[in-house]
Amino acid sequence: MMTSSAEAIEIKKSVVISKQGFKNLVNSLIKKMDVYGVIAKKGKFVYDSIGNADELALSYDVTVLPPTAYLFPPRETILRFALGNGAKPEPVTDDTSRAIIGVHPCDINAIRMLDEAFITTNPDPNYIARRKNSLIVGVSDLTPSPKSFAPSMGTHIAESGFDLMLTDIGSKYIVAIGSRKGANLIKKYTKSSPLSTEDIAKQISVLDRALTRYKLNLNVPRERLPKLLEESYDDAYWKARSDTCLSCGSCVMVCPTCFCFDVQDDVALNLKEGQRTRQWDGCMLVDFAKVATGENFRQDKASRFRHRIYRKGKYVLERYGRMGCVGCGRCAVACLAEIASPLEAFNAIAESWQVKQEAKRILREARPEEELYLPRPAQLVRVEQLAAKEKVFEMKFLDGKDLGHQPGQFVSVSIMGIGESPFGVATSPTRTGSFEFAVRNVGSVTNAIHNLQKGAVVGIRGPFGNGFDVKALEGKDILFIAGGIGLFPVRSLIQYVLDNRNQFGRAIVLFGARTPAERLFVDELATWKNNPALEFYETVDRGTPEWTGNVGVITTLIPKVQLDPRKTMAIVVGPPIMYRFVIVELKKKDLPDENIIMSLERRMKCGVGKCGHCQINGVYVCQEGPVFSLAQLRNLREAV
Amino acid sequence: MKPKVAFFDFTGCEGCQLDVLNLTGEELLDLLGAIEIVNFREAISNRSDDYDIAFIEGSITREAEITRLQGIREKAKVLVALGACACIGGINCLKNHLPMEQALKIVYGDAAKYYDTIPARPINAVVPVDFYVRGCPPQTAELVKVVKALLLGKKPDIPNYPVCTECKMAGNICVFELGKTCLGPVTRAGCNAICVTGGRQCWGCRGLVDEPNKDSETEILKKHGLTPEQAVEKFKIYNTYAEVKK
Repeated sequence: MMTSSAEAIEIKKSVVISKQGFKNLVNSLIKKMDVYGVIAKKGKFVYDSIGNADELALSYDVTVLPPTAYLFPPRETILRFALGNGAKPEPVTDDTSRAIIGVHPCDINAIRMLDEAFITTNPDPNYIARRKNSLIVGVSDLTPSPKSFAPSMGTHIAESGFDLMLTDIGSKYIVAIGSRKGANLIKKYTKSSPLSTEDIAKQISVLDRALTRYKLNLNVPRERLPKLLEESYDDAYWKARSDTCLSCGSCVMVCPTCFCFDVQDDVALNLKEGQRTRQWDGCMLVDFAKVATGENFRQDKASRFRHRIYRKGKYVLERYGRMGCVGCGRCAVACLAEIASPLEAFNAIAESWQVKQEAKRILREARPEEELYLPRPAQLVRVEQLAAKEKVFEMKFLDGKDLGHQPGQFVSVSIMGIGESPFGVATSPTRTGSFEFAVRNVGSVTNAIHNLQKGAVVGIRGPFGNGFDVKALEGKDILFIAGGIGLFPVRSLIQYVLDNRNQFGRAIVLFGARTPAERLFVDELATWKNNPALEFYETVDRGTPEWTGNVGVITTLIPKVQLDPRKTMAIVVGPPIMYRFVIVELKKKDLPDENIIMSLERRMKCGVGKCGHCQINGVYVCQEGPVFSLAQLRNLREAV
Repeated sequence: MKPKVAFFDFTGCEGCQLDVLNLTGEELLDLLGAIEIVNFREAISNRSDDYDIAFIEGSITREAEITRLQGIREKAKVLVALGACACIGGINCLKNHLPMEQALKIVYGDAAKYYDTIPARPINAVVPVDFYVRGCPPQTAELVKVVKALLLGKKPDIPNYPVCTECKMAGNICVFELGKTCLGPVTRAGCNAICVTGGRQCWGCRGLVDEPNKDSETEILKKHGLTPEQAVEKFKIYNTYAEVKK
């Protein structure tokens, strides 16, 4: 019966090979590429480079780090650059051919989740290069870790995402073929046979037996997790359970579905060249959501703990269509405080249901956006001091193109060797030829930008994010409320309204600064004051003897203006503390939530919805924001 | 103009300076291409009072050292603490648990009367410090990182997360899983978990993170076999100064 048949070796088919045949296959791969596999170490299991198939330990429970570390490594260079004016950075990707041997189905499901995050919107060149050049050889998990709950997450079986998938049925392997590459390997290096009925019976029996070895179960259907979490935001559980959290990051470092990262510049000692690298970062670390001005948007343990669990059970699923936890149990092994297992959190809270449809992506068709992380060179044509710590910078792209932005969008500005930071565009797209952004000097990058001289060339990525919806503002009265450097992004929209004045109703500008010396764009404020097309009011928190204008916080200006709440749109940008108080005053004027538009500050690092720093609950500020209506934010508990 | 750099040693084993000399030839040449070293007792005989950046090694244990350090602070534009003794007080502070007379007696015996001593302290207890190169010994890579940041005029990226983060990135098996105990969960990273990677455990030589969960760490140490006294002792090895101050 068992004849070798080439026709049987097809994608989605299974065949039988001998164990020696598999070893031959692995040893052949070792001659051609870097081969990593599961090996035993100090009584545990890890992935490591192997020089011979005999080193493999494929009957294992769980590895310390997941195999995803080969696709999204702890540290990786994304750009190389030379310092100095006009030097163009080069994207760096790793095209090395690799094979990863022994991947459990839960980890293959983690890879499919990462595929969604890195390959769908804003295709990531670094991930795709590694993914395309990695051969994934899976192995059914017959000896699960006592901390694993993969069956509860539906991840103990993988239907795709591998090249080959082995099941050990004693004397031989049943091999599921997941790709053309996988089929070719079987053809080239092994003598395979079709499955006999005994083989099939044996496979069912070993897999069934493995299933009985899982000791942990989710007590609600996983489809109900998002709704369940939705309704448990204020549960006392988050604070009580996170009390012993060490904020050590172990849970997120060992997680196969965690993919948040930080970006840093590393310059050689000759100060002539350097590289921009990204490295693993995680939402459980204290400074993850901290911005240069000192605000930390997730500063207590409970909010970080809750955020991670929400990513695992809700945010990632809603965003990418795949569960953010594959039940591998690594976090539960790594957490010394014994609080990290999402299963425990899911079981500890309860109720309701809803899951989005699975989005299917095919890796072969992925087209990386090669320049995703590559800044475009732009020249500084004018710089002006606005106040003690604020300057405005006018930029022109070297290729002569316009930025092509909407008011309210932002750009990421790179000083190679120092780093990259996001800044709102301060000019209207109607003013073509150049654009401006303004910067308060608070950290390394802002300091480097402040030191730039006219003629300097810097890197710009963007425009990013969701700006002000100018179409929706047409015909409306517009009330601009800008506090301090909140004026920078608001200015882009004020200019836009002035340049298209007949498309809008009244335009009322309220501006507040802390002191007269901290007023910004002083000359422009004067022209606005004298411009009959604008109603302009300003105030300072603390006056000086010379100051003859209003004194008081910005909210004191709001009662002074008459508004028609049905046709007024309020554009509010300022320091985090300002929003709460301004909203109270606007509600006194009966403005509906839909008419209150705000631009929020968060720590934005990648700008393309990947690195995770800017998240407000499940929303990425760099994608869906920074501009939101209050109506949108009402459901985002971390927002204001 | 290359910045002029001076190294000064106070109370310590001078291992930090030795570690600077352990840079590979190529790294050392690169470093010397970027800065001019004008004071370095372990390596050069020249002396100069004209410097921009002062690296301070060792903790402060005598009155005379306070005056000397203040003098250096006045001359230096940038002052960098080098190593555990300078950054957090280090193991020298273990003597702070004793009366000073007794500490002198233990070390110098009958000759104690010829010496004076004060409770040991890190240099930021005496003068403002601009940057820290932590560790016992410090990582030369981090020293180079701080020098580069100074040359570029940026803040060096020194982590404020615990060693566990880097230890996981290094792919290590947790030492608690191997039956030992470790201060990694509360100690500031930046060392790439070198001790655990090398088969040891973390003793906290880089100082604690800004918000260490010491209660939780103490419970974990106890759960893994330490007595409450041993758990407290473990924290003290390098971090006595911060512990006793409270």
